[in-house]
Amino acid sequence: MLAGFFPPDLSLSYLAALTVPLMQTISMAAGGMLIACLIGLPLAMFVGAQVRGARLAYGLLSGLRAIPDLTLAILCVVVVGIGPAAGMLALAIFYAAMIGKVFADLFLAADWRPIEALRSVGATRLMVAFYGLLPMTLTNLVSMGCYSFECAVRAAVIVGAVGGGGLGAELVGTINAFDYGRATTLIILLVIVVSALDSLSWLLRRHPRAVLLLIPLGLAALWANWPETLALRHAATTIGGMFPPALPLPALQALPRLLLETAFIAGAGTLLAAVLAVPLGLLAARNLVPAPVAMATRMLLEVLRAVPEVIWGLVLVTLVGVGPIAGVVALGLHSVGVLGKLYAEACENVRRAPVQALEATGARRLAVACYAILPLASAPVAIHTLFRLEWNLRAASVVGMIGAGGIGQALYNAQQLFFYDQMMAYVLITWAIVLLADALSDWTRRRLGWATVIA
Amino acid sequence: MAPAGMLEIDKVTRRFGELTAVSEATLAIPGGQMVGIIGRSGAGKSTLLRMVNRLIEPTTGRVAFDGRDITQLRGRRLHSWRASAAMIFQQFNLVPRLDVLTNVLVGRLNRIPTTRALLKLFTARERALAIGALDRLGIADLALKRADTLSGGQQQRVAIARALMQEPRILLADEPIASLDPMNAKLVMDALRDINRRDGITVLCNLHTLDTARAYCDRIVGMAQGRIVFDGAPEALDEATVRAIYGTADRALDERITSTSIGAAALPAFARA
Repeated sequence: MLAGFFPPDLSLSYLAALTVPLMQTISMAAGGMLIACLIGLPLAMFVGAQVRGARLAYGLLSGLRAIPDLTLAILCVVVVGIGPAAGMLALAIFYAAMIGKVFADLFLAADWRPIEALRSVGATRLMVAFYGLLPMTLTNLVSMGCYSFECAVRAAVIVGAVGGGGLGAELVGTINAFDYGRATTLIILLVIVVSALDSLSWLLRRHPRAVLLLIPLGLAALWANWPETLALRHAATTIGGMFPPALPLPALQALPRLLLETAFIAGAGTLLAAVLAVPLGLLAARNLVPAPVAMATRMLLEVLRAVPEVIWGLVLVTLVGVGPIAGVVALGLHSVGVLGKLYAEACENVRRAPVQALEATGARRLAVACYAILPLASAPVAIHTLFRLEWNLRAASVVGMIGAGGIGQALYNAQQLFFYDQMMAYVLITWAIVLLADALSDWTRRRLGWATVIA
Repeated sequence: MAPAGMLEIDKVTRRFGELTAVSEATLAIPGGQMVGIIGRSGAGKSTLLRMVNRLIEPTTGRVAFDGRDITQLRGRRLHSWRASAAMIFQQFNLVPRLDVLTNVLVGRLNRIPTTRALLKLFTARERALAIGALDRLGIADLALKRADTLSGGQQQRVAIARALMQEPRILLADEPIASLDPMNAKLVMDALRDINRRDGITVLCNLHTLDTARAYCDRIVGMAQGRIVFDGAPEALDEATVRAIYGTADRALDERITSTSIGAAALPAFARA
């Protein structure tokens, strides 16, 4: 079965045929991000200016952000119909909330002293935001914006998988047609696109003004993906069908099992990733192994990380069949890529002094690693692993939507069978899980006094 | 009827939870005075100044200017009041990424319509005024530099130019020289005195150094633990009062320990040798 994925289909005709879904994916991300910025930035400024109602707006943004992107995509597909318009709408909502919250956090963390001076001259809140908040946070806004755009392209692929069109839809299509060679091609393409975006955002960070060039791109994308007909009446009946959300008795009885399964996918996926990431992270640490070994390991980790959980899930469902095991391995593979890199950085960033002291005793490399580097790196390693567990709790609740078990699968089944009231019930439950995971990790962080780490 | 430009602070109190930062402060300052407010850090000087500009609201009490109660102002009127009570700060508080000229023009924000402000459309006259203000402080050549590339002394002079752009009735200076070296401290204090003498603008200046207050101010107000414990001419400030203000009851106080000015007395022995 695995052999079926090799060799990838690199024929010119297939690569040429991929330009359309590729453009569709990128334009979904670009159009979605444009709408997201138009909504998110003013909201963030509203919160940052700390006017009346700002706390409420901040709460709404945090709440909205907790709805997983794939859940939003399914909702949008149901309402707008299959195609890139649904994907774009889902991305627009998700990233409006994300940008709104992240930018608001940046504004709230800005130096308050120039802000106080601007208030003291008698400027209105809007002017204070414009002359103080924006210029002071510009660099951070651009780099967070670039990071969001990168995430949006990856998300555009996965929302495609549940009916949003583009590369994701193509990937589902090839897998359903047992065309595994082409699936491999698509995954390679995804890795290339993600690393290209990495360099693009590096360029944008150095020339923040270039961000303005993305506006025409976004407008073109909006125009291309705009739904041809807006079936408002259909949308209204569909949304009406979702309320009140309800689960029949058998589904309610199955709920505890589904929740446990979701928790199992998250926990086992994180454990698998952590176990694999320890040796890989050590092999990727430039201060522990020869440079070529570190480089090679890093590339492997980069590939694992570039492919989102849902895409790994799609592949694994074909390999090991529908069910939670596919979910565990999917989360595990993506998380190895993330954790391996973070573990390697934790080893590279240890304080030099104790390491040198040990080297000065004439200890061998392995002894230095065991007695100085590993003990010093263990605290950040623990922090990163716990963060990953939180992230995976969210991921586990959506990865099921492509057949990898847990509550997500139940949600997807309900949608496929047009049981919209049940679907809505699962949407709300998923949302509650994410909010709970957020609150738990917030609590842990505060209790242990850990600083925020952006993975 | 109070005389023109009279600032009246009437039994103003500000509490932060358990802490009373300013307690029943009462002052009447006629237009055109240069007043130094002295005291240790935490004595309530900054809070008092901020309550005049309304960056901080008094818990109780009332502040009036020209007989008009300014503690009740809201919205547009509050913003206009803030514009006429300009502030400068210990840390200068310029917007780091903006150029010097824009930082000065910011002082005009209260007078221009929002749309023009958001498009950063300043008129030629406004720009000329800003350059004029910078020129008066001897730093017109820095107009197009980014604010965060300037030295502390230069930044504070930009902040004063910003205050001048507000065409204020009062200038509130919160520890304006506490972050500066003696040479720049003198430049800044001279500029404040010049504004006070030439433009007739009332200056209220928080200082924690006694000799600067003596050298520049017509009147000194001493604060300790939120209360006003002295109000009078510099000559009337005797050693017992100074001890009460700085809380050094059992030690002889040498005024020089609070000094930042460029007097020979302020310099350590090795520097004089």
